[in-house]
Amino acid sequence: MLKMNPQLSMPAERLLDLDDVKVHLPTREGVVKAVNGVSYHVDRGEVLGIVGESGSGKSITARAIMRLLPRNAREEGGHIQFRPRTGELHDLSALGRDSRAVRQIRGQHIGMIFQEPMTALSPVHSIGDQIIRTIQLHMRLDRHAARRRAADLLSKVGMPRPEQMLDNYPHQLSGGMRQRAMIALAISCDPSLLIADEPTTALDVTTEAQILELLKHLQAELGMAIVFITHNFGVVADIADRVAVMYLGRIVETASVDDIFYAPKHPYTRALLNSIPRLGVDQGRRLPTIPGMVPDPYSVPTGCSFHPRCGYSVAGTCDVRAPEQHIFPNGQAARCHFAEQLAEADAHV
Amino acid sequence: MSDVNLSGADLAAAMPDDVLISVRNLKKYFPITAGWLRKEVGTVKAIDDVSLDIRKGETFGLVGESGSGKSTVARLMLRAYTLTDGSILFRRDSGEVVDISSLNERQMREMRREMQMIFQDPYSSLNPRMNLLELVGEPLVIHGVGSQSEIRDRVADLLKVVGLRPEFLLRYPHAFSGGQRQRIGIARALALNPSFIAADEAVSALDVSVAAQNINLLQDLQEQFGLTYLFITHDLGMVEHIADRIGVMYLGRLMEIANTGDLFARPLHPYTEALMASVPQPDPRGNRTRKRVPLKGEIANPANPPTGCTFHPRCPYAQERCRTDVPALREVAAGRQVRCHFAGELDLTGVAA
Repeated sequence: MLKMNPQLSMPAERLLDLDDVKVHLPTREGVVKAVNGVSYHVDRGEVLGIVGESGSGKSITARAIMRLLPRNAREEGGHIQFRPRTGELHDLSALGRDSRAVRQIRGQHIGMIFQEPMTALSPVHSIGDQIIRTIQLHMRLDRHAARRRAADLLSKVGMPRPEQMLDNYPHQLSGGMRQRAMIALAISCDPSLLIADEPTTALDVTTEAQILELLKHLQAELGMAIVFITHNFGVVADIADRVAVMYLGRIVETASVDDIFYAPKHPYTRALLNSIPRLGVDQGRRLPTIPGMVPDPYSVPTGCSFHPRCGYSVAGTCDVRAPEQHIFPNGQAARCHFAEQLAEADAHV
Repeated sequence: MSDVNLSGADLAAAMPDDVLISVRNLKKYFPITAGWLRKEVGTVKAIDDVSLDIRKGETFGLVGESGSGKSTVARLMLRAYTLTDGSILFRRDSGEVVDISSLNERQMREMRREMQMIFQDPYSSLNPRMNLLELVGEPLVIHGVGSQSEIRDRVADLLKVVGLRPEFLLRYPHAFSGGQRQRIGIARALALNPSFIAADEAVSALDVSVAAQNINLLQDLQEQFGLTYLFITHDLGMVEHIADRIGVMYLGRLMEIANTGDLFARPLHPYTEALMASVPQPDPRGNRTRKRVPLKGEIANPANPPTGCTFHPRCPYAQERCRTDVPALREVAAGRQVRCHFAGELDLTGVAA
């Protein structure tokens, strides 16, 4: 599987590396640059949170990693490298959607969970059958041992009476329990990476808290890395080690979770954080808002795509040139012409 | 004009002057049927004994998780469902107090000029085959208010009021984003100049930045038109921001009612405490230090609710008595009602202001 491609190389601690990934979606109204040059990496055992509003491209990027892009999507460049704990380096971007190689990786090395458990679970097979099949597909276990492992997994994700649960069908479970079953399926082969796409968005807060605790616990126990996609800043603050903020197909800021929340450098990150009502904090009668709305994807503004809504936008610069990523000494990166000046202004306050 | 004449001095007397709508012992039971004869084998107590007052000009927040019955309460208050029992007193613009629980369909239609609803899903609540003029003007047409040109002018005005351009009059909902569609729904609700609006998860489906814009709009409209809101949500941050008073629901019952500040500073019901502790905050350091023990288990099946206090199987403070005795919603301090045997005795944590 190791390709002797000189471009393929990653530091030892690196698990996943995306370099300038571009995905275009042709539609009747025009081409949507859903992912427009996204680069990020995930180290072993870390949780990378990806936040952004709808249409920012956070889920499509994850689908490019999984090689599960919509059939009409066109990949216009970029590299996705992945090295699971077994050590071999894969060039995911070279693998086809249904190739044998990618089917080995999905399920075994990369697990995925979704907002809606029924996207991942089959309604006509019992929970047990689905997990057992996955285990047998990727691990050399006989049916009996696979069943035992499946029951262990269900108890690991906190499902009561795991032995009986194996014979239940998804529709017999509550939303929270289905979410747990889907997590059990995703981690059934000890993946190195779990991609979690809004897994708690449809859940009630008390169930959400349970699922977040479970994911943190499993992550520590199994040592897997998580790419956690969400629009909820509270959730990302709770689970992520590092955070990438996306807007209109680009990552506008990447930093440690503390820096994103206590020292955001990109105007979009700052504005978003200001517009969330926080518990126990009186922000006065009006919430600070971001003017306008996310532009439709067919007419992305020129220059910095955030400039029409940005309070710091400077005519002649922001509407003309697309900003490069500015990297601060602490590793924080912001795609803004004035990232440095804004940070300095903050320091003087 | 109005043939709603059920009000009597006794009804008005039952309601303090500053109250717009007063719900007493509201119940909604749905039958559980089985077999092809659809024999009734039990009941789901979707709403059980809910009583609350909403004051003129305030925003009353109703929070709870799915299945708690918060939307059902709103639907009952607007008589979208028939109630099983209870009364709903409403003070009309004329000052007359009416018990809407006993009105017939025709009388109720008259009432809906003054009571309106905004829905969560702006995609399914707007008819895709109607343009904005028809959508927003429909309530006016139904109530026979104004000529065609008057309706057109009124709709254009309403669009301006909610921050949409009046030139959009002949466009269809598909041309608008989720946040804008929500505004169309708001314009439609405002068409007949209601005094009371129930907003059911009105911003829950929207992106962060758009939700903030629409929340500000709702607050502006409240000021401008003296509206009274029932604001239903599962988002505690949002409800804390917008509501003056809050009711917390669990399994069809109100567990606690309090002023917003009091509720968040010091919850008196263990479920309220658990809800607050569950919300992950946009504050990583705080999350690391905050004691967050997730609530055990899941909301019970309303067809087979637990005995005693319905929250007892999940309550970390439950005692023997909670398994057997149903606690009453009782007033423990001025303006604070709690449905817990140990209200005031427990040391519960809110969120620091």
